Parts: sequence; C-alpha cells; structure tokens
Amino acid sequence: MGGLEAPGSVTLRRYALAVLAVAALTLLLPALSAVAQEAGKAPDYRAFPLIGSRLAVWAIAQLHLNFAAFILGVPIFAVIIEIMGWRTGEQRYDWLSHEFVKLTFAAFSITALLGAFLLFLFIGYYPKFWAYMTGIFYPTFWVYATLFFLETFAVYLWYYGWDWLSGPRKWIHVALGVVSNLFGTGILFVSNAWVTFMVSPGGIDEAGTLKSLWGAIANPTWMPINIHRLIANIVFGGTIAGAYAAVRFLSAKTDEERARYDWMGYVGNFVAISALMVLPFAGYYLGREIYAFNQTMGITMMGGFMSWLWVIQAILIGVLFIGSNYYLWLGMERIPGSERYRRYIPYMIMILAAGFIVWATPRSIPLTPSEARVMGGTHHPVLGVLGVMSAKNTAVNLMILTTFLSYLLYRRANKVSVRPWAGKGMAVQWVILGIAATVVTFYGVYGYFVESIVRIGFSVYQVLSVLGAIALVMAIDIPLFKGARSTGTIRWGTIAPRSQYVLILLAVTFTWLMGLMGFARSGIRQHWHVYGVVRDTSPDAWTPALGYAANMITIVTVVFFLLVLFIFWLGSLAEKGKAGAHETPVPVIAASDR
Amino acid sequence: MRVPVLVKVGAFALLVMGSYTYYANSIPQIQSLPPQELSLEGGNVTPEQLVKAGEEIFHGKGTCEICHRIGQKGTRAPDLAGVGARAGSRKPGTSAKAYLMESLLEPGAYVVEGYPNIMPKVDRPPIGLNRSEVWALTAFLESLGGTVDVKLDDIPKSAGAAAGAAGAGAAELKLPGDPKAGQAVFAGKGGCIACHRAGAIGASPVGPDLSQIAKIQTPEYVMGKILNPAAMGTVAGFPPGVMPQTFGQTLTSREYVDLVSFLLTLKGEGAHPPGAGSPAKK
Repeated sequence: MGGLEAPGSVTLRRYALAVLAVAALTLLLPALSAVAQEAGKAPDYRAFPLIGSRLAVWAIAQLHLNFAAFILGVPIFAVIIEIMGWRTGEQRYDWLSHEFVKLTFAAFSITALLGAFLLFLFIGYYPKFWAYMTGIFYPTFWVYATLFFLETFAVYLWYYGWDWLSGPRKWIHVALGVVSNLFGTGILFVSNAWVTFMVSPGGIDEAGTLKSLWGAIANPTWMPINIHRLIANIVFGGTIAGAYAAVRFLSAKTDEERARYDWMGYVGNFVAISALMVLPFAGYYLGREIYAFNQTMGITMMGGFMSWLWVIQAILIGVLFIGSNYYLWLGMERIPGSERYRRYIPYMIMILAAGFIVWATPRSIPLTPSEARVMGGTHHPVLGVLGVMSAKNTAVNLMILTTFLSYLLYRRANKVSVRPWAGKGMAVQWVILGIAATVVTFYGVYGYFVESIVRIGFSVYQVLSVLGAIALVMAIDIPLFKGARSTGTIRWGTIAPRSQYVLILLAVTFTWLMGLMGFARSGIRQHWHVYGVVRDTSPDAWTPALGYAANMITIVTVVFFLLVLFIFWLGSLAEKGKAGAHETPVPVIAASDR
Repeated sequence: MRVPVLVKVGAFALLVMGSYTYYANSIPQIQSLPPQELSLEGGNVTPEQLVKAGEEIFHGKGTCEICHRIGQKGTRAPDLAGVGARAGSRKPGTSAKAYLMESLLEPGAYVVEGYPNIMPKVDRPPIGLNRSEVWALTAFLESLGGTVDVKLDDIPKSAGAAAGAAGAGAAELKLPGDPKAGQAVFAGKGGCIACHRAGAIGASPVGPDLSQIAKIQTPEYVMGKILNPAAMGTVAGFPPGVMPQTFGQTLTSREYVDLVSFLLTLKGEGAHPPGAGSPAKK
C-alpha cells in the first residue's frame, strides 16, 4: 500500500530543508580544519548570551539526541514490519510500516538542523575543546557526512518509492529499508565514537596526542554505548510511535479510526517492551566497561555524588515495566477468551512491585550525619541488604521474566491450541520459566556469599538463563499455537481510554529517562571535557546536582514534545490537503485474530 | 465543557514530568566541584600544616575515600588505619616513606593481598595531584600511626608533571577586593612594608618574604594571619609576637579585603605588583 502523500509543497519544502541541512554540514567540513587552526588564537571559551554556553549545549544536544534516536530507532522496526507485511501478504503491516516511516520522515529535517546548530555551538563557544576533538576525529567527520548523505538519499527513496517499488519489486523496496538502517546505524556508531572518547579516551598518549585513530574510535565504552543506544533507540521509537497512536486514538471520530490507532499503539508498545527487556543487560555491559576503564569513574558513578541518580533511574524503569504490563493487561480485556488468564495478574503485579521496590532500594548514597544516625548507619540495617547488585540483578531478571509472561498470556488470550501435545508443551514452558526463575534467584542469593569479582560473573548466568528461557518458550509457543482455534476476534478500538494514557506515560517517562542517562554519561566526566585529558576550565566546570539537572531535563523534554506536536501537526496538514488522493484505502482492522 | 484531547494529554505529561522533577529536587543535592590546586613548593610549612593539607586532599581532590577507609575494612582497598606504622614492614628493605610514595605513584608495584589492582596513579589524570599535593598526602598517610618525615625533595621531580593534561588549569579564587588598592595599604596605612617584602616592593628582612605567599599558603591562612597572627603560628626562623595584633581594628573592611586580594596576587617568580600586569589575568 502506499501513495498516502502525493508530492506537494509541504513535502518539497521538507525535502529542501533536509538537503540544505546536509549540504550545510558537508560545506562546513573543509572549514573545520581552518577553524581548528584558528582556535589556537581564539579564547578557550565564549559565553552564550543569557543562559550560558553549557545550558545552550545541553539543551540542543539533548533535543538533537531525542530526534536522532527517534529517526534511527523507528526505521529499524518499520522495516521489520514491512517485511512481515511482504511475507504474509497482510496489507495492514505495510500500511503501518509506511505510517511509522512517515513519522520519522517528518522529524528528519529538524534532526539535521539541530545537529548543525550543535556544531556551531561547539565551534563558537568551546573553540579549544572543539579544536582538540577535530584534531583527533577529523577524518571521521567525512565518514559521518558521507553516511548522512547516503542515509538521506536511501530514506527518501524508501519513502517516496513505496508505490513505485511495490508488487514484484517489493524486495528492492525492503532492501532499501534495510540499507537505510545500515547507514543510520553507521551514523550512530561514528557519532558515538566522539561521545565515548570524551568519557573513556583511547588511542592517545599521556599528553593527549593522537597515536591511533582506530584506538580513539574503538575506545572502551564505544561498543557498549553502540549496543545500548541501538536498543534504546528502538524502545524510544516504539514509545513515541505508541504515544502518537494514543493521541490519534483519543481524538478519533470513528470506530474504524480508533481501531486502527489502537492497533498501532499496541504494536508501538510491543516493539518498546521487546527491546526494553534486553536494555538492562546492555546497561550492565556498559557499566562493567566503565569500571574496567577506570574504577574511580565507575565508583563515582555508582557510589559517589551520582548515586541518587540510580534510585531515580530505578523508579523510571519500574514505571516503564509496570506501565507496559498494565497496558497489556488492559489490552486483554478486548480479547474474548482472555478471562482464563486474569487470575495470574495479581501474582504478576506482586512480582513487579517487589522487583520495583528492590531495584529502587539504595545502598551507597551520600547521607548527612544526622540522617546516618537516624538510619543507624550508612545503609538501612534490614533493607540495606536489598540495595546491593545481587538483589537488583535478581529483581530485574524476575521483572523481565514476568513481563515476558504477560506478553505470552496476551499472545494466547484468544487462542486454544489444537496440537495433541498442547498440554505437555505448556507444562514444559512452565518448567522452563520455573527453572529460569530458580537459577536467577539461586545466583542472587549465592552472590551474597562470594567475592565481588565472582559475584559479577553470576549476572551472566542470570541473564543467559532469562534470555534462554525466553527463546525456548517462544520456540515451543510458535508451533503450539500455529493454526490454533480462535475464541473470538480482538475487538480493536474497544480498549479502555486510560490505556492510551499509559502509552503517553511510557513515552514521557522514557524520554525523561534518556535525558537523565545523558546527564549521567556526561556528568561522570566531572570537570573534564575529555576525561583525564582535556580539563574543563570554564566557569561551568562544576557538575550540577540532580535537582538542577532534573529541571533542565524537564524543560528540554517539554520543548521536545512541543516540537514533535508541531511536526506531526504539519504532517497532518499535508494529509488533510490530500483527502481522497490515496491510491489504496487504509486497511480495516476493527476485528482480527492478531 | 469538553476539554480538547491535546490539553488533557499535555496536562498529564506535565504532571508525570513534574512528579519526577519534584522527586529529583527533594533528595540531597550534591554538586561536584572542580578541585583547587595546592602549592607548597619553596614555602615554609610545618608538619602539622602539611598533614592537615594532606588530609584535605585525602577527603577531596585525591578521591582516596572512594575506596579507602580509615578504621574500617573496605572491599575494594585496604583499611588505612595505622598505615604509617605498617608501611615500613610491607616490603623488605623499603622504608615507610618510600613504600607510601610508591603506593601513590606506582600503585601496581605492590598490591596488598586480597585486593584487586585497581588503584590509579594519583599524579596522573584524572586525579592529577601535583608534587606538593603528593608530598602533603604522603605526610598525612605517615601521620596515621607513624612519623612524619617526608620532605619535598623526597618526592620525585617528575611527580605531577602530567597532572595538568591537555587543557588543565587551576581554578582561580576570585576575591572582591582591589589588588592595586591593597598594594597601597601594604606600603602605606598597613605598614606591612616595614617588615615584609612583596615582590618588587619592600626589602625588609624582619618578617618572612611574602613574594610567593599566594603560592605557598591558602587564602584562609592569609586572612587569618592578618587578623589574628598569634593564632596562626610563627614561621620558622622568625621571632614570635612581632606582628601587630591590631589590624582588625585599624584597617577598614574594604582595606582588609583589598590587602588580601593584593597578597593573593603574589606567586613568586611570575608575580608582579598590580599595575605591572596581574598574573591572575594571564
């Protein structure tokens, strides 16, 4: 399906903006080396009017990252959905994929413009720092610009060629989507090299002189951040797409429209929750590499002035897990046959709540002497035991297993297996889940009785048992419910409206969480632009407290959503202007088995 | 009245973000401030002052406290209680002083059994202690059950050479006073010139030469020494009780602040009297 947008003035303007942004970036590159030479004569810093340079860079960097995460994350699952539509022949998937790409398409230009703005800020207000970074990474700037150009080209072709490359040429279109994603991932990896070099510099000598460009790129936190951001971008894209669908659902005038966006919201949440389940593992990998790079940095991050940040992070992740599960449980109410599984929900709530409480239990936090006296020590005499990594790892793994179980029950809510081995298959599934939970709990408890270096290794067994259980259970579930008897069709569009606010809650929370993690990544460098190499001697060399950071994150998140609203509104204007111009009507999905 | 969907959604989103922001503002607010540089080279400093400076480095810039405790066994690093006494017997043939310096500058050379080899070199970035700071920190560690006998000359000249790194620079203390007016107080109403030399100004040998006082002493010391000289001790080699105790009454607060500002521009070789180009503005 396609042709939702005919070329028009809005589209042309958008195209022109993106091309201009790419061209500006490309033209800037040769100027960068000259800028680097001139920087020797320039002051170390200049002051941005009114708000200061740091806040200006903070705001624009966070906005740029939000948009970049969105336009890089959504195409990843959009192409997967397109492939599903292509292979199954179900047009609704193709429509949905196109709908997702349309969202990212609208955000493409502003991402590029914010990136250019960020570059100007660095050149203008941090000339010495930027000269140093240019000296290290100049060759990669060309790679970045080239990839950006190629990605722009591929995405535009992917989007505008939706009709042209349909039918027997669909495989070319799908390949374009895959190629767009490869270029996008390449862009992410290149820019991650710059960011991670600031945290964990490599490829340089003690004086900061470049010895190996590859060493600077493949610094200790580069790959962990690549993986973490790639997964997080998918979660982010899923939540934003889900929130978009929620607003469209709540504003819908017809049942059909409501059904369509109910389904879109469900898919957005499904994508987000699927990626969210593996995100904590990527986070642990990143944390481990930070410790391996520099113990002081790791300890400052987890047990120093930032320790409260992880309590807030735990709360946000708890909200994400509980919110996602709640949405699934609400969704089951529109599925005939789901009543069979409702009795499990209270137990799942208990596990999630307990996991949330454990994860949010602090251990090493700065206390005033009076607070320490009241508590009877630096950590709580009873609950303090839950604040260590053994308990937290166990909690998060059990939360992930529970979330997977929620999805499993949702998936089979209106299905009855017709396989003769159905009973045994399900029993094996329960045994697998039980074994995984036992392994996770066993290593969680055992971790209290061994040295920390051994304990760290236990988290690998816990993660592998959970991921293994998920893979095995799904391997049984797919054939188990293939050709299953339906107990009724899903009544898309009849989900309780409060579920849509859950989708919005997830989007807002994850966006805020991204801002918080950005602050953590940047804050652990403390008074260094490049940790241990280029010291921050500006008036803003101090690292702010969490309250200050939270105020800033909230302001930027509000601005981000206002910009998103504006962009989507622009997109809707284009849609209204072409009413009746669609070559193919949007699919009817008010009732379906899936 | 029907509330538009976008208004409801916006209010809900603001409520969610507001609750996160409120919580983040309700917990202890801790900033991370860039460390101040300490320089004691070429100055007279008593062992007590040295140990005190070292203790501050231990708790602050040195970030030692992240892993080490004094009087409490740590999981990452040894308890330092009594390390001054214990250090001499750690490695055969190595004195306590040499062992402690090695522990700070080459921590991987000897690792206490049962602990991981994770300690960074304290004179290298990101900790980046300078030579004076390594000296003071060694003295503090010696004071934990041992005898403070470390001299600045014991610390290798190379220590702290890389502390600054590519973009390093010490944070300057900004005082509200006018150094030029303070110089006038020094040479005029204050009468300091009668006993002290300050760079190109004065030549009296009665009191200590203050030409690099900003480099070898803290602002707190300088301020305290003017108002209550007896309480701040007497510099070795000079007679006690000579410095007047009356500056707190004879100088106005403006003159006092100006005088302190002037004294804090005196940094030895690079220091020049105000008017000839303040080094702080370089």
